[in-house]
Amino acid sequence: MRRGPRGIDAAWLIAMAHARSPLLLVFLLAPVFYLLALIGFPILYNILMSFQEVTLGNLSKLLRPFVGLDNYREVFADPVFRQVFVNSLVFVGVNVVGQVTLGLMAALFFAETFAGAHFLRGLLLATWMLPGLVVGALWKWMFASQYGVVNFVLEALHAIGGPVHWLSDPAIAMTTVNIAHIWYIMPFSMILIAAALTAIPLEQYEAAELDGAGPVARLRYITLPALRPTLLAVACLVTIYSMRAFDMIFALTQGGPLDSSNVLPLLSYQFSFQQFKFGIGAAVGTFAVVFVFAVALVYVRTLKHEARA
Amino acid sequence: MNHRDDGAARRMPKRTRRIILAVVAFAGVAVYLFPIYWMLISGFKSSAEIFANPPTFFPSAPNLDAFRSVFVQENIARYLRHRVIIAIPVTALTLGLGAMGAYAMSRIRSRLVDVALVTVLLLQVFPEALIATPMFIIFKSIGILNTFFAVILATTSKVLAFALVILRPMFLQVPSELEEASYVDGCTRFQAFWRIVLPLMRAPLAVVGAIAFAQAYGQFVYPITLLNRQELQPGSVGIYAFIGAETADWHRVMAFASIYVLPIIALFLLLQRNIVSGLTAGALK
Amino acid sequence: MSLRKLMAMVAAAASMLAADAMAQKVITLWHPYNAETDMIHYGIKTFNESQKEYRIEARLVPYTQLTAEMIKAIATGTPPDLVTLNDPVVASFASQDQLVDITDRIRNSKVINLSVYFKGPQTSGVWQGRRYSIAREVNALGLFYNADLFRAHGLDPDKPPKTWSEVRAAAEKLTDPAHHVFGIGFCAHGSEQSTFQFLPWLWQAGGSINKLDSPEAIEALQYWTDLVQKGYASKDVINQQQNDVINSFMAGNYAMAVGGPWELPRIQKDVKFDWRVTVLPVKDGKNIQASSLGGFHFAIPRGAKEIDGAFKAIEFLSTPAIFQDGWKSGLMAPRADVEVKDPLWPKAYAVFREQVKYAIQRGPHPQWPDLSRPIQIAIQESLTGVKPPAQALKEAAAKIQPILARQPL
Repeated sequence: MRRGPRGIDAAWLIAMAHARSPLLLVFLLAPVFYLLALIGFPILYNILMSFQEVTLGNLSKLLRPFVGLDNYREVFADPVFRQVFVNSLVFVGVNVVGQVTLGLMAALFFAETFAGAHFLRGLLLATWMLPGLVVGALWKWMFASQYGVVNFVLEALHAIGGPVHWLSDPAIAMTTVNIAHIWYIMPFSMILIAAALTAIPLEQYEAAELDGAGPVARLRYITLPALRPTLLAVACLVTIYSMRAFDMIFALTQGGPLDSSNVLPLLSYQFSFQQFKFGIGAAVGTFAVVFVFAVALVYVRTLKHEARA
Repeated sequence: MNHRDDGAARRMPKRTRRIILAVVAFAGVAVYLFPIYWMLISGFKSSAEIFANPPTFFPSAPNLDAFRSVFVQENIARYLRHRVIIAIPVTALTLGLGAMGAYAMSRIRSRLVDVALVTVLLLQVFPEALIATPMFIIFKSIGILNTFFAVILATTSKVLAFALVILRPMFLQVPSELEEASYVDGCTRFQAFWRIVLPLMRAPLAVVGAIAFAQAYGQFVYPITLLNRQELQPGSVGIYAFIGAETADWHRVMAFASIYVLPIIALFLLLQRNIVSGLTAGALK
Repeated sequence: MSLRKLMAMVAAAASMLAADAMAQKVITLWHPYNAETDMIHYGIKTFNESQKEYRIEARLVPYTQLTAEMIKAIATGTPPDLVTLNDPVVASFASQDQLVDITDRIRNSKVINLSVYFKGPQTSGVWQGRRYSIAREVNALGLFYNADLFRAHGLDPDKPPKTWSEVRAAAEKLTDPAHHVFGIGFCAHGSEQSTFQFLPWLWQAGGSINKLDSPEAIEALQYWTDLVQKGYASKDVINQQQNDVINSFMAGNYAMAVGGPWELPRIQKDVKFDWRVTVLPVKDGKNIQASSLGGFHFAIPRGAKEIDGAFKAIEFLSTPAIFQDGWKSGLMAPRADVEVKDPLWPKAYAVFREQVKYAIQRGPHPQWPDLSRPIQIAIQESLTGVKPPAQALKEAAAKIQPILARQPL
C-alpha cells in the first residue's frame, strides 16, 4: 500500500471507508426494492385483507368492509390455531436444532479423508433436490402402518412389537413430519457448514495440537467459534424454510390427523382456499410474519458480534 | 483437508482408519438415501404393487410403462428444457442482485444494513399460497402475464434471500484494505468492486449460483399459476399431469420425479469438489 | 377453362373469404381431467370439428388447485368461460353471485332435458330456486370385494353381504393378520372425502346432517369405529384418500373396499384377482338404500366473455354420444335414459347404475365446507379413540347448528 505523507493519507482512506457511498446505497437497495416490489405488495394486500370481511363476492375489490381486529380475535380464540402455532414452534425448533446438529456432524465426518468422501457427500444432496410433493408422498408410503417399509424393517429387527401408527396417531404425527423434513433439508445445511469448515486455517489446529489440545478441545475452541457465523446463517435459513414448509407436509399428512401436524402456512391455506374465509387466512399469514420478525431481530442482533475476517 | 476432530483413536494406523470411515460412510449414505432408491424402483412397479403389503424391495415384474408414458405422453424432455430456460436467467438475476446486496451489506456500517436484512428475511416468510393472487395482480397490471419473464421474476424473488444471507459473510471475508488500496490508485468504488472484489469471489459466486439454479429448477408452482394459456400448457404442468381428479398414477409420478432430479444431481456431483472449496473466499491465501 | 369451372372457383374462394371474415371465438375451459381417456378430450375435439364459430381452448388445472385457481381468477378478474367444479362447492360460488344463472337457458335448451336426468342431478346445481351449474357426470359409492378371498374364507362371492351385520361378519371372517389382510377399507381422510364416504352410512341409519347427535347418527359412526377398533379395518384409513384405499384393495390387502366407478379403469388394468362390486348395504331393520352422489358440474363463471358459446359447449358435452364415451373412464352419465351399449365391466356398470338411483347429493349449502369439516373431525376423533362417537358427534352438531340456523339445508 502506497503511502504519502503519513497522517493525511490514512485519514483520507478511513474517511472513504466510512462514507455512505451512493454506489453502496444503490447496491444495498436494489435487491431490497426488488423484493419489496414483488413480495411487499402481496404482503400488504394480505395485511389489508386481514382487517376486512372478505367473501367470494367482494374478493375482486380492494375496498371491502372494514372489521378491525375481528379476524384476529376469531383466529386467536380458535383452539385449533393455538395448537397449530405450537406445532409451528416445535417444527421450527426441532428442525433448527436437528439440522444444525446433524449437518455439523455430517460435515465434520465428511471432512475426514477417505475414499469417496466428497462423492458420497455430494450424493446426499439428492434429497434436497426433490420436490416437496414427492418427498411427502414417499415418506407417506414408507411410514404407512401396514405396507410401509419403516414398520416392516423395524419389526424385522424386533425393535418394535407391532406396527407404529406414524401417520394415523395424533400423538406421533408431528414427530413423523419432523423426521421427514430433517431428512429432506439436512444435506443443504451440511454442505453450507462443510464449506465454512474448509475456511478454517489448518495452522490453528496444528498449533493447538502442539499445545496438547485433544480433539474435543479443538472442536470447542477452534471449530465451533470459527463456524459461528455460518451456523447462525444456517439456523436463520432453516427457520425461514421451516416456517414456509407446505408442499411436503400437505402431501404427507395434510396437517392431520386432527391438526396434530398442522402448521401455520397450511392453516392459512385451509382457511382461505378450503373454507373460503379469506380474511382469516390472511390474518394467520400476517401473524406468521410478525412472529418471525421477533426471530429475525434476534438473528440480526447476534450478527453484530461477528468478527470480521 | 484433514480435521482430526472426531475423536477417533489417534493410535490407529491411518489406513485402517480410512477404511473404517469409508465403510461407515457408505453404509450411512446407503441408509439415508434409501427413500431415493424407493422412489426409483416405484417407477418400475405397477400402481398396485407400490401399496402391497408386505412391501417389495425389488419390483416383482419391472416394466418401463411408467417411464415410457413420462417421456412420450408428458414429454418430460420439453418440461425439463423449460425448467432450465427459466432457471438460467433466475440464477443470473439472483447472482447480480445478490452480489450487489451482499457486498453492500458487508461494507456499510450502519443500522441500515440490519433493517435491510430483517426486511428481506421477513418478506420470505409469508405463506406462498397467499402471495400467489396479489402477485398475479401485479403481473397482470404490468401486462406480462403468460410470459416466461413473469415466471423468472417470481422465481427470483424466492431464491434471492438465500443468496444474500450466504454471500454476506463471504464478502466480509474479503478485507476492505484491498479496495482501499485501489482508491489510492484512483479506482472508483464500482471499479474496485468489479475488478478486485468480484474476481476473488468467483468460486463462491459459482457455487451460490449452482445452488440458486437448483432451487429455481425445482420451482414448479409459479409456472402453473402464471402461465395459463393453452399453448404454454405443455411443459408447465409437469408432475401434476399424473395427479388427477380422483386418482393418481403414482408409479408415473415417481418415474417423473426420478428423471426430473437426475440432471441436477449430475450437475452437483460434477461440481462437488468446487462447491465446498468454493464457498470460502480464500482471499488472502 | 369453362365458365362453369370458373364460377365454381370464384364461389369457393368467396366462401373461404367469408369463413375467414367470421373470426373464431375462443371459449376457455378449465378442467382437471388429466387421464387421456376422459370424455372431455373427445368432446372438445369433436366440438371444435363440428362447427366453426367457436373453438374450445382447454387448460388442465391440477385437481388440487382447481378451487384455488378459481378463487384467484375471481380475485383478479380473469375467469375462464367454462369451468368444471366439484358438486359441493358450487353453492359457495353461486351464493356469492360468482356463477352465471343458466336456469332459462337450460329450460329453453333443445339438447338438455332435465326430466330425464337422475334424481340427484336434477336438484344439484340449484341455489335458491335458480340453476347455476349442471352435472357433467355422476358417480356413487359402491362396495368392491375380492371374490378370491371370499372363496378362500368360505364366503360365497355370488351372494355378497347386503346388510350392515352381514358386512361386519364378512369383514371379521376376511381379516387375516398373518397375511396382512383387512376385511374392509373405507376412506376417513381428513378432507371432504371422508364426509363423502360417511354420509351414506349416516343416511342408511336414518340419520341426517341436521341432527348429527341423534342416536341414528351415533350408530353409524359407532359402526365405523367398531370396524377399526376390532381390527377389521386398518387404523390407517384416517390417512388414506379414496384412491389409497382402492390401492390397498388392488394390492390384495383390503378384502372389501368402498369406492366409486372412477376406479374401474385402474382396477381392470392392474388387478389380477377376481374382483366384484355390489351396492352398499342397508342397515338391518331400516332398509334404506343410500349412497353419496359425486361428480363434477359445468358452470359458467361471472365475468366470462363468451357466455353463449360456453353454454353451447355445455350442450354439446351433454349429448348422449359424449356420455357413452364417459364410461371408458368410469364416469356415468347424469341422464337416466343413456345406457351404454356393451359397456366395459358390464356387471359393475349394472351395479353402479342401480346405486346411483339412491345417491343423495351433499348440501347444497353455501357454507358446505363448514358443515363438512366438523363431520370430518368427529370421524377422526372417534376412529382414533380420542373421543367416543356420541361426544364427537355432539360437538360436531354444536358447531354446525349456528350455521344451519342461519341457512338451513
